[in-house]
Amino acid sequence: MAGVKKRVVIVGGGAGGAILANRLSKDEFEVTVVDKQPYNWFWPWLLYIAFRGSRRPIKREIRSVLKPWVNFIQSGASVVNLQDRYVELENGKRLDYDYLVIATGATVDYSKVPGLEKTVELFGNYHSTEENAWKVWQTINSMKEGTLAIILAPGAYRCPPSPLEGVFLAEEFFRRRDLRDKVRIVFATFYPRPYPAEPMNELIEPLLKERGIEYITFYTLDQIDVEKRVAYSMEGEELKFDAAIVIPPHVGVSIKYVPDNILDNDGFVLADKFTNRVKGFDDAFVIGDASALPVAKTGVTAHLQAGVVARLLQGEDAKNTGRTNCPFDVGYGLGTFVISDYYNPTVKYPINKVNHLFKVAFAATYWDMILYPELWNPVFEAFFEATEPAKLRQFYR
Amino acid sequence: MSQGNKVLVDARGIACPGPITELVKAYRNAKNGDVIEVWATDAGFEPDIKAWIQRTGNQLLELRKEADKIVAVIKVTAKK
Repeated sequence: MAGVKKRVVIVGGGAGGAILANRLSKDEFEVTVVDKQPYNWFWPWLLYIAFRGSRRPIKREIRSVLKPWVNFIQSGASVVNLQDRYVELENGKRLDYDYLVIATGATVDYSKVPGLEKTVELFGNYHSTEENAWKVWQTINSMKEGTLAIILAPGAYRCPPSPLEGVFLAEEFFRRRDLRDKVRIVFATFYPRPYPAEPMNELIEPLLKERGIEYITFYTLDQIDVEKRVAYSMEGEELKFDAAIVIPPHVGVSIKYVPDNILDNDGFVLADKFTNRVKGFDDAFVIGDASALPVAKTGVTAHLQAGVVARLLQGEDAKNTGRTNCPFDVGYGLGTFVISDYYNPTVKYPINKVNHLFKVAFAATYWDMILYPELWNPVFEAFFEATEPAKLRQFYR
Repeated sequence: MSQGNKVLVDARGIACPGPITELVKAYRNAKNGDVIEVWATDAGFEPDIKAWIQRTGNQLLELRKEADKIVAVIKVTAKK
């Protein structure tokens, strides 16, 4: 019996929002995606603009990656009211909903580190915009000698392996240009070890040593004096550089929420780690980077959470396992994956060329994977099943 | 000298190195004299917090294991 369709409003047309929109049955749901700008971005590619000068397109129109029956409205959301169940658009129009999904992603906040904004203006970064990623490419191309510092600022950030991916790709860049003996590369992190999860670090730390990359741990960046070319830790430790690329602190996108106690101090939305329901609400969900959950801010998280929320909305029983599967490019065509879940720590997954090939192949499928879940879901399900951390742990210790 | 603030960081149920991330977030906003109490369940937290104290020069007031959590009480003293 066909009843009245349930109205689902998804705020954000990134990976998570678009994947979810396309998975909901058109017979049961009236789905509307709202985004303040027209593009779906493949953010992992910022790395390859920054360190390889890649000209491969990094964005596509959101409209082109949504099923034809999904509505798309290009507008910012000025208010999201969970109590009265509506999203107010910039023009004042209200979208009432039966279910809300917050998929707004994360943004960067330079104001948390004095001197960071000027540093980005000068040297760029690879966690914000295409323009800033191109600036990194200019930075490394104009560097013939001196110290390149790559610094992980304290706070949340997208893609756990990305700080070190930049480090490894920079090292490869300078070695291929025959400048490696003139350019010193220093990685500074607030974590106890170069890669935060110990089993993965057992592979990564020796590789850093082998390639002559210096690193400083427990370095909590406080401020940067760009004129003097010095970064200071909170304990006053000085790191001198000629160029600095900083992974900036990430925060939630600023939207007015009612009630506002669903946000943490950094503007991320509090949620249940198994169902992604927003704290205190049965009919509102948050997926991907926008959530305050202590899980990796990465596309695979958004992808898997979108799948769980789609099943919950369709009345099935589903819950998140906390699975991560982050491709980790370590340069020279080699890669690994950071694989873990709520029940299993990160696997010491070997570095090889096939893993890197998987990363490149995934990039090629990205928009097709969003638009045609009916074709790609079985492929991904087979991959995730074959690489369950509980199974892998028996082989790789 | 003014009385420091006391901040509780509940990092229970967060896997390594999440508790350090949560601590550093609180540390970022803290002043010298403040006390940060961290609750964690991940076993890796104990060696990590000891190393953090040694490296940063802040003060570890207390580190104890309770039945359901590890508690670290830190006095912020090393900030410039």
